[in-house]
Amino acid sequence: MTQPIIFDNQWERLGKHPLETEYDIVKIRQLIRQHAKSLTMGIVDQTRITTAVSELLRNMYNYAGGGEVIVDTGIVENHKALIITFIDHGPGIADLGLAMSDGYTSGMGMGYGLPGAKRLVDHFEIQSTINEGTIVRVMKWK
Amino acid sequence: MNTEMHDKRIPIIKIKDFLIVSIQVDMHDKLAIALQSQILDAIGKTGAKGVLIDISVLEMVDSFIGRMLSGMASMASIMDAAVVIVGMQPAVAITLVELGLEMPGVDTALNMEKGIDMLEKRLREQKLEL
Amino acid sequence: MSEQYNIEKFKERIERIENVLASVAAGDMDARIESQTEDDLSGVEAALDLLIDDLTDELRQRDIMQKESDEKLSKIQEQQKTIMQQQEDLLELSSPVSKVWDNILILPVIGTLDSQRTQIMMENLLQKIVDTGCTMAILDITGVPTVDTQVANHLLKTVTSARLLGAECILSGISPAIAQTIVHLGIDLSIIRTKATLQDAMIFAIRQNKQSDDARLRRQLADSNENHE
Repeated sequence: MTQPIIFDNQWERLGKHPLETEYDIVKIRQLIRQHAKSLTMGIVDQTRITTAVSELLRNMYNYAGGGEVIVDTGIVENHKALIITFIDHGPGIADLGLAMSDGYTSGMGMGYGLPGAKRLVDHFEIQSTINEGTIVRVMKWK
Repeated sequence: MNTEMHDKRIPIIKIKDFLIVSIQVDMHDKLAIALQSQILDAIGKTGAKGVLIDISVLEMVDSFIGRMLSGMASMASIMDAAVVIVGMQPAVAITLVELGLEMPGVDTALNMEKGIDMLEKRLREQKLEL
Repeated sequence: MSEQYNIEKFKERIERIENVLASVAAGDMDARIESQTEDDLSGVEAALDLLIDDLTDELRQRDIMQKESDEKLSKIQEQQKTIMQQQEDLLELSSPVSKVWDNILILPVIGTLDSQRTQIMMENLLQKIVDTGCTMAILDITGVPTVDTQVANHLLKTVTSARLLGAECILSGISPAIAQTIVHLGIDLSIIRTKATLQDAMIFAIRQNKQSDDARLRRQLADSNENHE
């Protein structure tokens, strides 16, 4: 079985944001860019994490109807990291392997989201349970 | 002759045979789709042969916006208009490539001047074909 | 009776010696016996005081040296920081992009390419393309001995990104060794235009320039002719 996704209490909580409307997607990804900037990430890395977050937010919105985004920062594997956790209580993903494979597009729009986002970040974790929801965590090193 | 066609935040400007669209805001999905329709409408109404989409201010193009842009290029070409994406930022280009969204078949130009050159060249070639 | 008195005094003095030694052991550098009497025991007391003098001197020396050593360490750490910064700067400088001809950029790449360096090179090149408005860039890898999958993929990424910007990249100076590696690794570089030498690449780029300049001139000529009709 997979390990549960936990929050390290050494991390610093930067924010907790609900994803309820489409405008929240824009708002949250802009906040993420601000955080990446404050961590003095280079412009390309800022763009990578912002884009990855946009993909994952859209997935969460379209597929699960919304959810919550938690932003932390901390030291992970000797890197200063921006840690973003996406939690939803949607239908869950039946076949994670399929959803994570390149070129997979479902009618509901899970398409580029997961594999694309994974390529843009330094750490990617996903857990999903049918009828309970999905948790995705990504990290970007500074 | 310039005609300005507004929609809330993203204006479409006509100059000679071309439409110029300058995207200056971080678009949410609905706005992106709306823009796509507006541009196609404008092509229909004005008979424009080319559309220059200026994204030099956009700091992020994700897969949705990327697909909107390439979708629009395809639809526009069916309406006999060419679309050129102008001024993509380097960080955006790198991220799009890493995302796996390379937008084949979409013309791009470094800046407005070169974009207009490209469209004029295209028009010339089309006229010669006739 | 005086013998009893002497023994008491003696015990006191021994106690004093013990106390002073205990104080010194506990860290009091200033504790000394400083006996006033002159007798057999005072010789030992004086000797012990001298011993304590030497010991506390040594300890003080050691502390000074520790302090100096700490200062040196932090100085070295500062220098290390500076060196790292300079290395980063060098990394950027080592892949300079030069504008050589109208509309043509040349990036001569020298030395072993690793992932980090190729990434920096790519970002520099793309920014230079935007800054100069050049639509042709030549990446000359004559000075690169080997290429692995990661680097080849980075080069591919550079060319594709440049294309999204509206510029074309030409790869020149691919050695036979690198050509073999690329084929063996199954990397598809077919979408990149390649030329054997930098010279070939320059000639090609200049011709491309000329063609589009000519085409533009013809268009302008045709336009002005139309306007006069």
